[in-house]
Formats: sequence, structure tokens, C-alpha cells
Amino acid sequence: MTNPSLRARTSPDTLPKSLLAGYQKYGDGKIAMRQKDRGIWRSYTWQDSYQQVRQLCLGLISLGLERGDKVCIIGDNDPQYFWAQLAIQSGGAVAVGIFTDSAPQEIQYIVNHSDAVFVFAKDQEQCDKLLEIRDQVPAVRRTIYWENKGLWNYDEPWLISLEEVQELGRALDAEHPDLFERSINRGSSEDLAVFCYTSGTTGLPKGAMISHGNLIAGCDQTIVVDPRLETDEYLSFLPPAWITENTLGLTIHLRTGMVVNFPEAPETVQQNIREVAPQSLLFSARLWENMVALVQVKMIESTWINRLLYRLFMPVGYKVASLRFEGRKPVGLLWRLLHTVGEFAVFRPLRDKLGLVKVKSAYSSGAALNPDVIRFFRAIGVNIKQLYGSTEAQVHTLHIGDDVRFETVGVPPPGMEIRIAEDGEILVKGATVIRGYYKNPEATEQAFFVDQEGQRWYRTGDAGHIGPDGHLIYLDRMKEMLTLSSGEKYSPQYIEGRLKFSPYIRNVMSVGGEDNPFVTALINIDFDNVGRWAERHGLAYTTFVDLSQKPEVYELIQKDVEGVNRTLPAAARVRKFVLLHKEFDADEGELTRTRKLRRGLLGERYGDIIEAMYDGRDNVKVQAAVKYRDGREGVIETRVRVATLEEKSA
Amino acid sequence: MAADSVHLSVQEVSLSFGGIQALTSVSFDVREGEILAIIGPNGAGKTSMLNCINNFYRPDKGHILFEGHDLTRLSPRRVAQLGVARAFQNIALYTGLSTLDNLMAARHIHMRSGLLQCLFYWGAARREDIAHRQVVEEIIDFLEIEHIRKAVVGTLPYGLRKRVELGRALAMEPHLLLLDEPMTGMNQEEKEDMARFILDVYERHGKTILLIEHDMGLVMDIADRVVVLDFGLKIAEGTPEEIRRNEAVIRAYLGEEMR
Repeated sequence: MTNPSLRARTSPDTLPKSLLAGYQKYGDGKIAMRQKDRGIWRSYTWQDSYQQVRQLCLGLISLGLERGDKVCIIGDNDPQYFWAQLAIQSGGAVAVGIFTDSAPQEIQYIVNHSDAVFVFAKDQEQCDKLLEIRDQVPAVRRTIYWENKGLWNYDEPWLISLEEVQELGRALDAEHPDLFERSINRGSSEDLAVFCYTSGTTGLPKGAMISHGNLIAGCDQTIVVDPRLETDEYLSFLPPAWITENTLGLTIHLRTGMVVNFPEAPETVQQNIREVAPQSLLFSARLWENMVALVQVKMIESTWINRLLYRLFMPVGYKVASLRFEGRKPVGLLWRLLHTVGEFAVFRPLRDKLGLVKVKSAYSSGAALNPDVIRFFRAIGVNIKQLYGSTEAQVHTLHIGDDVRFETVGVPPPGMEIRIAEDGEILVKGATVIRGYYKNPEATEQAFFVDQEGQRWYRTGDAGHIGPDGHLIYLDRMKEMLTLSSGEKYSPQYIEGRLKFSPYIRNVMSVGGEDNPFVTALINIDFDNVGRWAERHGLAYTTFVDLSQKPEVYELIQKDVEGVNRTLPAAARVRKFVLLHKEFDADEGELTRTRKLRRGLLGERYGDIIEAMYDGRDNVKVQAAVKYRDGREGVIETRVRVATLEEKSA
Repeated sequence: MAADSVHLSVQEVSLSFGGIQALTSVSFDVREGEILAIIGPNGAGKTSMLNCINNFYRPDKGHILFEGHDLTRLSPRRVAQLGVARAFQNIALYTGLSTLDNLMAARHIHMRSGLLQCLFYWGAARREDIAHRQVVEEIIDFLEIEHIRKAVVGTLPYGLRKRVELGRALAMEPHLLLLDEPMTGMNQEEKEDMARFILDVYERHGKTILLIEHDMGLVMDIADRVVVLDFGLKIAEGTPEEIRRNEAVIRAYLGEEMR
């Protein structure tokens, strides 16, 4: 493993210098980028890339670009986007990415707030938006487009094509052939490279000021634990205005030589992933879940032989994966043999269809990923890892190597440090932490602080805690956390979400809040799955009520609750729970039509049970009004037990 | 482009089915490089008019002159070869083939290689195939249908199929493009997309376009001139502005509320 500090000293300290180094190293001998166009993958060598950036940068300079200027870019993932960004940075200016689906008013805000003097706008759609707000963005001298479709007949000198700008650049180059490289060499790691505007849920977007040093640190910290080769392929499909694409895409490309492929159109990403078969991939949790659903649907429509093989070998995949990853036990010879057959019959073809055939690093970020999804991909041979980060500090933590745990978001890479504040907030420190938000000292003051040793920390606004194995467990946004009467905080979302990952639990409502000393839960069992489990274990039952109150079922669910508790700090654990005698029902108004809990109503309706959990009773008599399907109303009377979990000293 | 030279001239065309008079002595000119729209209530004879130009129907009387040829004397295939292509109202694609294959099939009128050459896919046949593919890929790019290049047309939603249908007509590289209700059955967004494509075809390639459409708003937005049919008779002809003000048109078609 390379020493990161050594690396930093010997390697270029800005993105343009990295481009220059790559050009000197590879020249015309290696492909830098590829894009599918008119149905054919077209390649650009490092020399092509370098020349494009050179001409474009000089063109901008001849249009009046100065060091420290800001230039906005709004467009899809194209080589031209990356070239524009590097050209801006080569001229010592800052690139400000804007999401393509932004409305004209949002664009107007960012363009004005960032003091942009030029805007790159990909095509007619984006240029039309710029033309609409033209009078409101007087500082913008020119808008530069790189796809002329539909713009042929625009008689509008404010718009200029990328080629025309490059033409100006070639003229300047002829006069001052050393200007470009001199401009690059004036840059330093302290210079600002990009602004990423974060669309907060409240208030106006904030412009995170990210320096070249930040980006390079983000890249180097990641590739130390997850190395990339210059032969690796990458597909650029995350929004380029987002920090993640800047770190995992552009910066890693410049510093490792990894080939960046660009999709033909936003709609073709799935097909292009299959064609490219990238070594690294980052999807949101939702996308991974969609992929599983897609496989299941396609399997139903497939031929009988495919269905048979799938039914035969998926259990083998699950079994071997659980031995390997969860049991961490050696896999027996017979299983290994079966698994090899399954690899050729099912797993490899499936991975191929999904474009995962060469993937080494498959990451999920955003919401927690359902363990069932992780298990599915492990069964077909892909170990999905969590990655947790922010615009302000890039990658905070990730799963390294095979050390992947469902419930955590991994550990900080070397160079990053994580601390949990008194109130449970996750704080991060490292060379990736930015210096603040543009023209917003108040927000900067709130989000960043310097400790006694002069180290800069970022307050993530996320709540979490560090487990015994050193992995970080992400709970929720700080503002979603609730407080108990003891003053301790807990996350209802986390508890309910994680419990619902259990196949035996259909729904959960956690109870706590400022009136109560600890957390409790009302749980709906999943009648089908628990019923099947009962049959397998020779447990006789009659109705939902009967099944839910079996001591064995309480034990089963208790194991799940204990599993979630193990990931929580002692004060935030579920101490007692009840398996309800009936399911929460949308027809009775207990759930909304989108199946969200109506907490107020549930709290009233099950008030007696909740009270019982806090006053020490071990069972409670319930009378519940039920509506039968035929419209009659009746009352059932029964007792539900209160389960108490033993307090373990944490 | 000579904007005023006549590209297609319909001269006193009449057509009847048994006792029903579908078209009665209809005359109008389509000028080179314009978008001309034919509008009219249901059964006014709009599609019959297009069928006469294609020569699916042979008019009882009259002539249709296109680039010096009288189309009424030619076979539909010959009409297509002369450079008249049509996108059909009810979509005339091979539903079992992919988008790409449908567009390639439309290139057949431009293909010259013999059977033997094609069989072995060498020399001229190979070069020709690549050239055709290039034309088709330009159209795919133009219509933004890259993501359905390999998709079987029968599985596509209606709006996309309409777009492929337009692509099929464009693949013939026509001089005159006939569009038969290109926006029927579409939602507002799809209609606006289609209008943008039609305008792009017109601006980019300077094609002459003859368009039939129900949606008045869109016709008025994109057409240079409008011809109005009612019960097989031409009742008006002029710019969208003139048509909006024309008393006969308002009575026959637009209804009182338009005023």
C-alpha cells in the first residue's frame, strides 16, 4: 500500500497538472475517454483530451477569463463536460456544476450567487433556459454550448459553440504557445476547483467551495483502500454537478489513468453498463433494489430451463455466500463443486446481464440497503459495500476489502478521522474537509470548527455511533432524532426501518419521546412468513391472534430486536415490545393510504398497551373493535404479552 | 432555397367511392421548403388526399404534379422512389423487428447491391450497408431514440412508436414528407416533443412537409400555410392568421367558441 503522504509529495497537486502529467505519460498511446455516439464507441486518447482542454482553455482566456473567475456548467455526462471543467480550472477559474433538471429560477440563483462570468450549457434545452433568464444574469458574458441540434437557426451572438471558442483558443495558442502550460503551472492545491451547490431541504442552496487539494485527497484516500488500475473501465453516469462524480470519476481518472466511458444518452445507462462492464460502480440503494426486482421479473418471463437452473442454483449461491460472509467458515468441497457449476449456469450469466461481470468495487450510498438485497448479490458473486460521505468532506467511511457488515457504513479510510459528539452527531476530519460555503460565513461557522490542535472538522448533521468493531453505524439526520425523558436521543426511523428488514416483521411503531424513559415497540408479525416458520417447526396455531401470542414467536422476534439493539447505543435500545394481536390497518385509519403510520391515532388506540409497557405489567387485556370483511363489526377480547429485553451493560 | 417555387401541385383532384364523393375538384400547391397543413373535420377527405398523393388511390379526375412527374400515373413504389415518404396515422412498422431493423428496412429503396453480393456481404454490399447504417444512426440520434435502438417495436409505448414511424419516413430521405396525424393519441408533452422534431426536420434539412393534423393549436403554431377541407371541398387556404379569421372555416370547423 502506498503511503498517502508520500504520494501527495511526488504527484501533481491540481487536476490540470494531473491532466498534463497523464498526457506526458500516455500521449497518443492510451485511451482516456470513450463515448457511444451514433451507435459506435468512439475513443479519445490522452492527447485528444489534452488538446481539447488546451484549445478550450485558451479560447476562454481570449474571451476574457481570469484567474479566480467562476464558470457554470450545466449538462449531461459527456467528454465535453469534463473538458470544459478542466479548461476552466487550467485557466485558474472555478467550475460550478448545475444539475440538468434545474428550473430556470434555480439556474439563475446559482449563476448569480457564484458570480459566474460564463456558462457552459449543453444543448438547446439548457440554452433556452439561459435565454429565458438572460436579463437576470447580466454578469454572464457568453453561454457556450456543445451540442448544436436545434440551435442552427438561433440568431443570438450571446450563444457560442464550443468549437468556436476552441477556434479562438487556437489563434491565441499560435501567438503564445507556452501560455497554456504556464497557466496550469500557476495553480496550487489551495486553489478552488469546483463549487457544488447542495440543495438543502430548507433554505437556499449553499455553494460548497472544494479545492484541488480536497479533491486529490478524496481520490487518494479512496484508491489507497480500493486501488484502481489504468486498465480499469468506469462508466460516468452520476450527475457531474455532484461531488461523487468529481471524486470517483474525474479525479480518479486523472490520477490513475482509469478509462472513463460516457453513456450514449441518459436513458441508455443500463445497456451501456453491460457493454462497458466497469470495475467500479456506485448505485443508490434504490437502484440496487430495482435490479433485484428486474431479475425476478425477467426470470418469470424466461424459458423453463432458465427458471429451473435459477431455482436450482440460487439456494446454492445463498448457502455458500452465507458460509463465506456471515459465518466466515470454510466452505465444504461438495458446496464448492455445486457452486462452480452454478457459477457457469446462473451466476456469471446473470452478472453479465447486469453489467457486473468485472466489478470489483460495487458501492451503495444513500439509504440503508435491505440485507436481502445484499444477500441476493452476494449469492451471484457481488459483494456490495456501503459508502458514506458528503459534499463537504467527500468519503467519510466505506467498507474495506471483505469487511462488509449489513448494519454499518464501514470505517474511515486512512487520513480520515471520525468522532461522535456529545449529542451523537458524526464529526469528520481530514484533508478532504472544505474551507466553507461561498459567500455564506454564517453557514460556514455552523458547519465547521477548528479544534485545539488547529485541525478542521466538519459537523455532518448526521447522527451515528461507533460499534465495538470500529465500524460507523449511521442512524439518521440529527434533526430527525427524538429525545427521551432521560435526555438521551434515539432514532425512530432507524429502529423501525431496521426491524422491518426482518422477514417476520410486517410493521413497527416505536414509542418513546420526552414523556418516557426508554424506547418500546409495537410490532406486527408478518402472518405469512411467521406462519410458514411455525409450520416448519411443528408449531400449531389457529388465528393471527393465536400465532402472535405464542411464546416461540416472541422468542423469534426477540432475536431480531436484539440484533438491532446490538447496533445501537445502550440508551437508545428497545427495552420492551409487544406483538400486536392485529395488524395496523389502512381501512381502520391506522395507516395512510401510502402505508405510513398514523402515530397519533395509533398512540391513542393502543394507549393501554403502551402504558402497560411502562408501568411494569407483563400482560394486558385488550378489547379491539374489528371490522369484518362483510361489513359487520365485532369485538375480540384477548391478552397480549409484554416482552422485556434484559439490560446488558454496554 | 427558392421558397416560392411549387414542389407539389394538386390540380382539380376528384375522388369518389361508389356514390360518395370524397374529394371534389381540390387544387392547391405545396411550395418548396414549407410546412403546409391540411385541416378539416372528420370525413373531410384529408387522408384520402394523402392517399391520392401516395397513389394508394387513383383519382377519378385531376393531376398531381411532383418535380415534373404526374404521380397519378405511377405506382406507390415509384412515388416513394421519387422522394415522397409518409408517416402513417395508424403506424405502419414491422412490429416484430427492432427500431434499427425498421429504419434499415426503410432504406431498401436506396439499396443497389445484388442478391449474390448481399449473400456474401463483401465489397460494395458491405460498404453500402455501412453507409445506410450511418444514415439510420443519424436519424436515431436526431430523434433521440438511442435507448430503443435494439428494442422490438411491438413492445414500445405508443408515443415512441410514433417517433419511430417518423424515423422510418425520414430514413427514406424524402424530398417531400407526408405526415398523417403525427400527434394523435399523444399526451401534451409527447405532442410538444413531436412538434419540436417536425420543426427540426424542417429547419435542419429544409424539407417540404405536408401535414394533416387534428390538434388545431399545434398546427397553427408550426404550419406556414393551411388548407381547409370540408366534405371533400377546399373551403379555404392561407396563413394560420388568415385561417383563424376566415368566416367559412369558423362555421365549418372551428365552431363559434373560437371567436
